Amino acid sequence: MAMSDNRYDAIVIGAGHNGLTAAATLAAAGKSVCVLERSDRIGGMSRSVDLGGATAPEIAHLLYNLNPTVVRDLGLGTKVPLVTKILPTVCLSPDRNHVLFAQGEATFANGAVHPDAAAFGLLHGRLTRFAALLGQMADGPPPALAGGVLDAGTLKEMAALGKLGWGLKRLGKTEMREFLRVILSNAYDLILDEISDGPLAGALAADAVRGAHAGPRSPGTVFSLMYRLGNGGEAHLPIGGMGAVAAAFETAARNRGVAIRTGVRIDHIIVAADRVQGVLLEDGTTIHADAILSSAGPAQTMQIAGVANFDIEAVRRVRNLRHKGTVAKINLLLDAAPVFPGLTREQTAGRLIVAPSATYVERAFNPAKYGEMSQDLVIEAVHPSLSDPSLTPPGLHLMSAVVSYAPFALTGGWTDAARAELLARTVRTLDIFAPGIGGSIRESQVLSPADIADLTGAPGGHWHHVEMGIDQILTVRPANLISRYAFGIGGLYLCGASAHPGGDVMGAAGRNAALQTLKDGVLGA
Amino acid sequence: MGQHDKYDAIVAGAGHNGLTTACYLAKAGLKTLVVEKNDWIGGATVSRSLIDGWTYSNCSYVCSLLRREIVRDLELPRFGLQVIPYEGGASFTRDGNYFAYLSDHDALRREIARHNPRDVDAYARFSQTVIRQCRFIRPFLLRNAPDPTSMNPRDLSELLFLIKRAHGLGAKELGETLRFWTMSIGDFLDEHFETDLIKAHIAGSGIIGTGLGVYSPGTAYVLLHHYMGDVDGAIGAWGFARGGMGAISNALGAAFEEAGGTIIKGAGVERFIVKNGKVGGVTLENGDVYRAPIVASNMDVKRTFLKHVDRADLPGDFTKAVERFKIRGSSAKMNIALDRLPEFPAAPKGATFLRGDLHCSTSLNELERAYDDWKEGRWSSDPYFDMLIPSQIDPTMAPPGKHMMTVFVQYAPYDLAVDGVRSGQNWTDATRKALADCVLDKIAVACPDIRDRMVHAEVRTPWDIEQEVGLTEGNIFQGELTFDQLLFNRPVPGYAQYDTPIDGMYIVGSSTHPGGGVMAAPGANAAREILRKIGKGKSMPSFAA
Repeated sequence: MAMSDNRYDAIVIGAGHNGLTAAATLAAAGKSVCVLERSDRIGGMSRSVDLGGATAPEIAHLLYNLNPTVVRDLGLGTKVPLVTKILPTVCLSPDRNHVLFAQGEATFANGAVHPDAAAFGLLHGRLTRFAALLGQMADGPPPALAGGVLDAGTLKEMAALGKLGWGLKRLGKTEMREFLRVILSNAYDLILDEISDGPLAGALAADAVRGAHAGPRSPGTVFSLMYRLGNGGEAHLPIGGMGAVAAAFETAARNRGVAIRTGVRIDHIIVAADRVQGVLLEDGTTIHADAILSSAGPAQTMQIAGVANFDIEAVRRVRNLRHKGTVAKINLLLDAAPVFPGLTREQTAGRLIVAPSATYVERAFNPAKYGEMSQDLVIEAVHPSLSDPSLTPPGLHLMSAVVSYAPFALTGGWTDAARAELLARTVRTLDIFAPGIGGSIRESQVLSPADIADLTGAPGGHWHHVEMGIDQILTVRPANLISRYAFGIGGLYLCGASAHPGGDVMGAAGRNAALQTLKDGVLGA
Repeated sequence: MGQHDKYDAIVAGAGHNGLTTACYLAKAGLKTLVVEKNDWIGGATVSRSLIDGWTYSNCSYVCSLLRREIVRDLELPRFGLQVIPYEGGASFTRDGNYFAYLSDHDALRREIARHNPRDVDAYARFSQTVIRQCRFIRPFLLRNAPDPTSMNPRDLSELLFLIKRAHGLGAKELGETLRFWTMSIGDFLDEHFETDLIKAHIAGSGIIGTGLGVYSPGTAYVLLHHYMGDVDGAIGAWGFARGGMGAISNALGAAFEEAGGTIIKGAGVERFIVKNGKVGGVTLENGDVYRAPIVASNMDVKRTFLKHVDRADLPGDFTKAVERFKIRGSSAKMNIALDRLPEFPAAPKGATFLRGDLHCSTSLNELERAYDDWKEGRWSSDPYFDMLIPSQIDPTMAPPGKHMMTVFVQYAPYDLAVDGVRSGQNWTDATRKALADCVLDKIAVACPDIRDRMVHAEVRTPWDIEQEVGLTEGNIFQGELTFDQLLFNRPVPGYAQYDTPIDGMYIVGSSTHPGGGVMAAPGANAAREILRKIGKGKSMPSFAA
């Protein structure tokens, strides 16, 4: 489709899932698109890495929020192969009386009835219903304030808001009131108002804050919990590893004729007469395009597009964005199958949560506020090789752990010693539930938020690029007056996790940004 | 057990809100009775003399939020209320420096510049935003919070008023307003200022009285509860009520009695009498029964319904919502009699800012750590305090040459943790003294001779405040000021307009919209609601902006 090697309708910066979705969406509308990726590998946060011969999920390890519209548009799992397995959640308890939940049903791992099962089911059901309503808003740009509150933009947007309002109304008065009460509230109180503090409450609290610079007591964490549950919240393990996810997005884009160049460093975005003209690469090559969609963070995008091209208010707003990454990624190659007393092998293959109570999660957050890592860590661990033996050499096993809290701005910096300390603390925490696990570690990989920032360009190594605080979502995501993908200069768009609706392996931001670009007509008819 | 006169209305609790409601009911011609459990009136708006010659405002201690519409309408100055503005304030550092918050604009600019020239511009932007937000919110204080789930014309019209006001802001300001209402005071200040000391000085207003930290989203809004007031029309100004905060309650009490109302002191409500879903009166602790078809409770929503109403008289959902309502004790109070003015070695001699609010917190992280202690059931080892010496301006507070100091301390838990057990009973003389020592050590940063100056000190923990005043957990706002407990959610969704599931029964305290602070807005709004329901809505001004 390319008119020439160096002229495209649109350039997409970054070959993560959002960049690839944006590219595929534009290409589906007949546009010629080139994706430029700084690293040598495609996939951003959803890719695989080799660890001692095993295929490990480098950063993200589960899918739970893939946008159904994106799945349909890209044909993920239909036109393009993508197979996943749903994992139940296992809330680990120090007394080994672990709790299991799947689809809102909680039991003890040994099959006994959990005393909070009924209350948990009600709470989970309610949150999932509320989340589904909010989830509808992911498929389009956030509500506009352009003409003040009385102007919701186009009729189509009005209809989307109306749909939300209608959905709320259909919940009935009591549930609608409950929605309006809890929506801006904190997860800690919401959970503990319904169930007693323990591993089940802890797991829910941990889900509410994973990736965020927040503890469960922070107002706004009910929203982040609902965001996670927007598509049901079931955790899917991709068969073939996270690389299979990257490959699926890549194939979907390539099948539509998208060109993807890796290992490409952009010097700057060429701007003339307040419009983007293309990019100049560090190697001196120029690529021309009428639109540029960046899945990099707003500040980086602003840097390469030239800060002087933005109005001072926008610069100030972007500089003030919060993106303090708090999660590290640890992969362990084990030379024996992991043993968690109290769990069957099948249960061990689930999504294991170390968060013995909501109070524990809040306590773990405290040090992160002051640039220190948690003493007692909150962990989400999976053993991909128990579900997909092809990922490891025979006899070996893989544990992938998302570890909180490890602040991006660690006092003293993320040195090798700091990484080793985080690993030691992780093993010490895991050892409580899987005694002796430290002895079976053959290889390990530790990625601090700073490493994740280096690898993927994610600002602050932050899961969502920009913190999903209530003052940085929807109409003010990433910032006031920069919320509908267009980013200051004519033809420049944000298409990554920093744009509405936000992060997770979802793809909605990329799709919405591409649709907005098409709608704005910068690419011609 | 005596049967007494019948009244048209009874108000349970003589706090400033209860008295405000009572005033308006009495002025509308209702035969109104106020019953108060203590031997004095005022609730947490009170002046107490605990040592000869000194007067303590021993709960609330400064005045700004009291709605001027109410002050004027009830002619409170005629009943002795006089609010004297104070100027400035300061935060002292351990290394002998300070940041003075001066009321003279140019002097303040110079003082900020002394710390960081760039923060001078930041301050201009900061105050612009805050004033704009204050202007936005002020008209809502004396209006009902609309129920967004209701199709009732009054709710729709209130909702329309809200939408119109929001629309009037324009796109940019609306976005900024959404952010301001949802962000933390810490993040808000980080966006503006560079200097830790200046940030710390301002941040206190975002957390005072709450169970939140400076980095908890929503605390920027709490700041407004400290800036949206005025003294004689000067928005954001604070003052002392001459003779202590009790002057406010006493003026309200006198206005009420002049309007024909009766106050019974030393007799708290034991039970609200409910029959067939209708309120019939109150039974007092002493067994006396008073009957009235209208009963208003100035007690907080938890105390009212969980302690003084039979569960059987309430719908289960309502009770559950009340149980869930968060009223968290987070602050303590020290009231100190001084034999003379303490020395402030860092401050210039006779500095006027010493007459304002004084602090010794120097960074946002220090304040956040203070919150971390509280979450674990400990008082802050490095506490925040808001300290004033009103006797410098109001000589009635202490004997000649001597002074009175009020110290608001944050954070102190209601249920203190001792050996892993959290309980209000853990507040003993020993723990109270340990808290006081911790606070005094930090006050000594500003005035090293503080201990030598002390003649008497009263230490009030959240537990003590609950026991004496009746506020659940000693929370000064009768309920956390978080999003889930503001506007149409305050105190309970569906009952945010002063009404309750019991016919004829109302709640009129700070548990209701617009919340706490010595504002009297809940009391006035509730009175308007009550009068409207009995067809006397025209007998009091609407105050609607």
